[in-house]
Amino acid sequence: MSHDTHHAPVASKLELAPERSDLGLIRPDRSTGWADWLTTVDHKKIGIMYGAFAMLFFLLGGVEALAIRTQLSRPDNDFVTARMYNQLFTMHGTTMIFLGVMPLSAAFFNFLVPLQIGARDVAFPRLNAFSLWTFVAGALVLNSSWLFEFGHLSGWFNNFDWYKSLVYTDFAPANGWFSYAPLSGTFGQANAALQAPRFTGVGTDFWIIGLQILGVASLAASFNFICTIINMRAKGMTMMRLPVFTWMTLVTSILIILAFPAITVALIELMFDRQFGANFFNPSAGGQPILWQHLFWIFGHPEVYILVLPAMGIVSEVLPTFSGKSLFGYPIIVFSGAVIGFLGFAVWSHHMFTTGLGAVPTAAFALLTMAIAVPTGVKIFNWLGTLWGGRIRFTPPMVLSLGFIWMFMCGGFSGVMHSAAPADAQQQDSYFVIAHFHYVLLGGVLLGLMSGLYFWFPKIFGRMPNAPIAYIASGLVILGFNLAFGPMHYLGLAGQPRRTHTYHAGNGWETWNYVATIGAFILGIGIFLAFANLVWTAFKGKKCSPDPWDGRTLEWSLPSPVPEYNFARSPIIATRDAYNEDKYGEKKIGYENDGGEAGIHMPSQSWMPLVAGFGFLMIGIGMPLIAMGVPHAGWVVISGLGVMFLGILLWALEGPGGYMLKTPTPSSPAPVTANTSSY
Amino acid sequence: MSQVAESSHAPTSTGIDHKKLIMWLFLASDCMFFGTLISTHLLYRKLYPTGFTDAEGHQRFIQNLFNIELTSFSTFILLMSSFLMALAVSAMHKGQIKSFRRNILGVIFFGLIFLGCQVYEFTHFLHQGLTIQNSVFGSTFYVLTGTHGTHVAIGVLWLIILYFYSFTGKLVGHMGALDVEIAGLYWHFVDIVWIIIFTAVYLVEYLGPTGFWGTGLPLTK
Amino acid sequence: MFSRIFNKVHLFTISIFGILVSACSRDDLNVRQSTLDPKGPVAQMQFDVFMDTVWLVVILFALVGGLLVYAVIKFRARPGQDARPKAEKGHGNPLIEIGLITASIGALVFIAIPTLNAIWYTDDVPAEAIPTSKLSAWYQQLDENGKENYPKELAGDVLEIDVIGKQWWFRFEYPQLGLTSDAKHTVPNEIVIPRGKAVRLNLRSEDVIHSFWLPKIAGKVDLMPGRKNKMWIQGDQAGHYYGQCAEFCGDSHAYMLFRCNVVEPEEFAKWVKEQKKEAAPVEPNSKAEKGKALFAAKTCAMCHNISGHFGAGNFGPDLTHIASRRSLAGAWLDNRERKAQLILETQTKNTESTTPVDPAVLKANLIKWIGSSGTSHGIDGKPSKDVKPGNRMHYYKMFNVVGLNESQQKFTAEELDCLAEYLLTLK
Repeated sequence: MSHDTHHAPVASKLELAPERSDLGLIRPDRSTGWADWLTTVDHKKIGIMYGAFAMLFFLLGGVEALAIRTQLSRPDNDFVTARMYNQLFTMHGTTMIFLGVMPLSAAFFNFLVPLQIGARDVAFPRLNAFSLWTFVAGALVLNSSWLFEFGHLSGWFNNFDWYKSLVYTDFAPANGWFSYAPLSGTFGQANAALQAPRFTGVGTDFWIIGLQILGVASLAASFNFICTIINMRAKGMTMMRLPVFTWMTLVTSILIILAFPAITVALIELMFDRQFGANFFNPSAGGQPILWQHLFWIFGHPEVYILVLPAMGIVSEVLPTFSGKSLFGYPIIVFSGAVIGFLGFAVWSHHMFTTGLGAVPTAAFALLTMAIAVPTGVKIFNWLGTLWGGRIRFTPPMVLSLGFIWMFMCGGFSGVMHSAAPADAQQQDSYFVIAHFHYVLLGGVLLGLMSGLYFWFPKIFGRMPNAPIAYIASGLVILGFNLAFGPMHYLGLAGQPRRTHTYHAGNGWETWNYVATIGAFILGIGIFLAFANLVWTAFKGKKCSPDPWDGRTLEWSLPSPVPEYNFARSPIIATRDAYNEDKYGEKKIGYENDGGEAGIHMPSQSWMPLVAGFGFLMIGIGMPLIAMGVPHAGWVVISGLGVMFLGILLWALEGPGGYMLKTPTPSSPAPVTANTSSY
Repeated sequence: MSQVAESSHAPTSTGIDHKKLIMWLFLASDCMFFGTLISTHLLYRKLYPTGFTDAEGHQRFIQNLFNIELTSFSTFILLMSSFLMALAVSAMHKGQIKSFRRNILGVIFFGLIFLGCQVYEFTHFLHQGLTIQNSVFGSTFYVLTGTHGTHVAIGVLWLIILYFYSFTGKLVGHMGALDVEIAGLYWHFVDIVWIIIFTAVYLVEYLGPTGFWGTGLPLTK
Repeated sequence: MFSRIFNKVHLFTISIFGILVSACSRDDLNVRQSTLDPKGPVAQMQFDVFMDTVWLVVILFALVGGLLVYAVIKFRARPGQDARPKAEKGHGNPLIEIGLITASIGALVFIAIPTLNAIWYTDDVPAEAIPTSKLSAWYQQLDENGKENYPKELAGDVLEIDVIGKQWWFRFEYPQLGLTSDAKHTVPNEIVIPRGKAVRLNLRSEDVIHSFWLPKIAGKVDLMPGRKNKMWIQGDQAGHYYGQCAEFCGDSHAYMLFRCNVVEPEEFAKWVKEQKKEAAPVEPNSKAEKGKALFAAKTCAMCHNISGHFGAGNFGPDLTHIASRRSLAGAWLDNRERKAQLILETQTKNTESTTPVDPAVLKANLIKWIGSSGTSHGIDGKPSKDVKPGNRMHYYKMFNVVGLNESQQKFTAEELDCLAEYLLTLK
């Protein structure tokens, strides 16, 4: 390779003269501060940024949720208008799924996967940065719709000609997170300008393009992780020695690369319907709206497992650590994860039991849906087996993980109830469904992810989160959550349909809606407290040892915070739970004689992923501007495309670059600390 | 784009280079992508087997619309471009950069012929009255074949960049051959997808006396 | 200290659940749209399957949850113990695993069989429901004169009703009985069915996806544009039932409700005849007559049909019998006296019992509804809150037809009064 560096290893990148890329441009390698974060290719920093953005959007989605609950606290309430309510629940769902849970999982993938498999970085560091910035671009595009909505409500646009000629004046998406056509699409015949009449305004266009961009980000990240996990494992780290979290990352990433194309195509088709008068989902021209549902749920159901599996992986790491036992039935846990991923592609129509599929398909999907409960149940049994006979230490991550099992189990049970299609005919689109998937996604996934945050935070920042506050926050979250969503089971069975912005008094829903709202606010306070505790810890928390929990996997063998090269010497793995075995067993971790004298090769930083991401931002804002009829908006899209292609081209041509870093002491890994848990 | 990926120094766990692996993963994902588009087309074809109605209100049949000779020709051209691509990859592995350039120019040329055929076909169909707006068939046909055409165009662009890049002297050795091989993987994939589209979209219309969808005999010429 | 408190956190959760469950009284089970109070064979079947899943889930919950709580308490680390358990290695026990997987599959079979049975039962009118409900067998007999002739319909064995969804109201048509759009007799928002007779519903949508959900009679099936969905229902107890659109369908989705009257077959026959009557002529020189003129002048007649008076419109709900219906505006506004109704429901412990239409409430509703619909206008030019945002009264913009922009209908209080008086005559 022509990019190899020929200098003596240095202790810090700042010691070197600025490096020029193949094109003669100065690379941002020596940057510090903001520029360093913006151009970084370090998987740990990228992971931290993913986490920070995800928590930010979690809070935003949470505020939207609280507005929803406030509106529903009393019958015939008018806290928000009908349209604003519809926009709130649409953005709440989209935000929580695509901007909250998925990037928070990606944060863990980024930070942990290389550490757990004994690698120094991911396979494609700059692609990794590109995923991050593209995700940020997509998130900004989606949420910029709020700005336009706000401007519309405040009358900022009143004097513009394009605004006066708008037929539809909803600027934030209001179709629900699965945007069923034809509500999100068109009807009737296209006119001379290729525009067919629609039911909704540019909000839907923001949603379509935003999701497309987020899809690019997720796909790029998933290619990268699969490549990393398959190809960059340390010596001796066979597939069946991988930590379960890494396994679940692999399954999740495979699900993403196979499931996202379906929604990408669906979104392209919907975009053609809206922008060019095509007829994919236009019922007046023979289009079949049911096709949208099939395409969406072929993506949408695997998406559920994309959200859940990482949390399951986290719990499978936390439980053994605090039970002092290895995971019960490791192969079964791994295989059940893979089976869930596989079956996840075969159950999509259970979201469509009420669409008139016919008896035979309904029966088939009902049975398949019941079947998928088996591998899920297997996981719960194995977690129970892990606890059985252990020495259970109670720490914030452990409490949250136990909460995960409990809440996820409840969500799974109501899921089994939905699989009985005739019963589902009553539950579908009612608050019972809301309760079900919040038990899975909030009680399950969010508790799992919070558990992961509290578990690995000491590794990420070398600081220990405040335990009492963590307990109080966890308690509030679990209490508030059950208070908010427990009653919704009843409300659904009492006939309250979801996505209705208000209801009459006299239907018997008043009391429990009020209770649910109180619960939601307790939950909100709990989550805010939990996040605030973490942010405070990141800057001011008490320093702690590199292995505060008596961890079992490879990442705990590293110093905290982890140095930029991760492993001074690449580890050689002899067994599952390698670090635990290294501390207490016979099979010690070996170390290769790399690094050392020659130094460690570090990849160069780059502006180009950020530039390409910015191109996506311009495209994403430009497309809805065209739909609004803003003059010259086409140029925004064209220049956005230009910026994106320029970014990718320069990125391709600048070469990976790199420099050699001296390792401090190549002799030994971080000192083994005894069981230093302070709990 | 060939240089997007970085390559680590250490040998990989599987022995497959990162870049090649990620290209295979991308192709797996792209399979689902085209699979979805082709399914959409076939589903609607089955639902509405009788073709479309043009601007004058005439019922039109697909057999009359398609120019199967031209499409067969462009399919053949694309197949031959794959053959040249294989020669180019083989030349790179042997280090014969001049032979590589010759072959890759051939691939680019054939790719452009294919794109030209497609542009001609689209214009022709438009004149025949098939638009993206006037029927479901128009929507699925143009979006499916257009997406494939975009893939070919990106491939051509990629190969042109590779061609000029080869003059910088940096496209050499094992890594250079790998970059070309990956471009080749992409090109072959796009080619195979076209074979499927050609079969599922074009050829089935000529299956048996009334076509696979039983569309009946043409009414208008 | 905290660990000692929080290892009880799950017990705490259980107690919360206990409180929640015990707080639900019997009365909560038969609220207006309850799925737990089935009044027809379809809802009953769905309820039975639901209860099967409930039993299964409760047993599993007790088992797994109990084990979980037990394990967490039993195996918690205690002071003075070894830091690590003796059984450090736990690679799983194949026998346990296989046993548990088999048990789970067995448990699922327990709900799979009733599920399959119920899927086919609810799919279309089952054979056992047809003989008792042959339309030709019961409807004609009840015809007083025996003269009225419905040639096509009598061939059918089951009463069929077309349910047409629109943003944001339901239209019901009875093709076998001559209540159709073509015949200028349609029934908006209140579906009437004979008690004890199976009815097949043909579900159609004219714009986006809606869903027909009448919880006490049957679970929902979607009204899917481009598809011909069907379902069957049967009400076994006469009364007034409440239903709602259950698929998000745009701005005023929450206001898309409907009612269902289950009546005795004799009454049903009477009702059909009543529906086919044309509106009576209005009294000359009355407010109603002025209102009738306004109905034409304010373009109401463009969309609304009033058989015998106006026949041009069919986009909006048919108003020929508006004053006889217990609800207005997609069943969002209730035309009954609110307190009297609630008292009746409490007394009879039955949400299906209903008080008659209260003309005063109906009139107030009409004035509120007509006066506020639209954008920036209201009674006497004073802007008022939209009863149903985005509704199509006055919103021609939605049709996207050039030249048909939003109309600026303005009403004075007096005009509205006359209009309401006119509509009140349409019994």
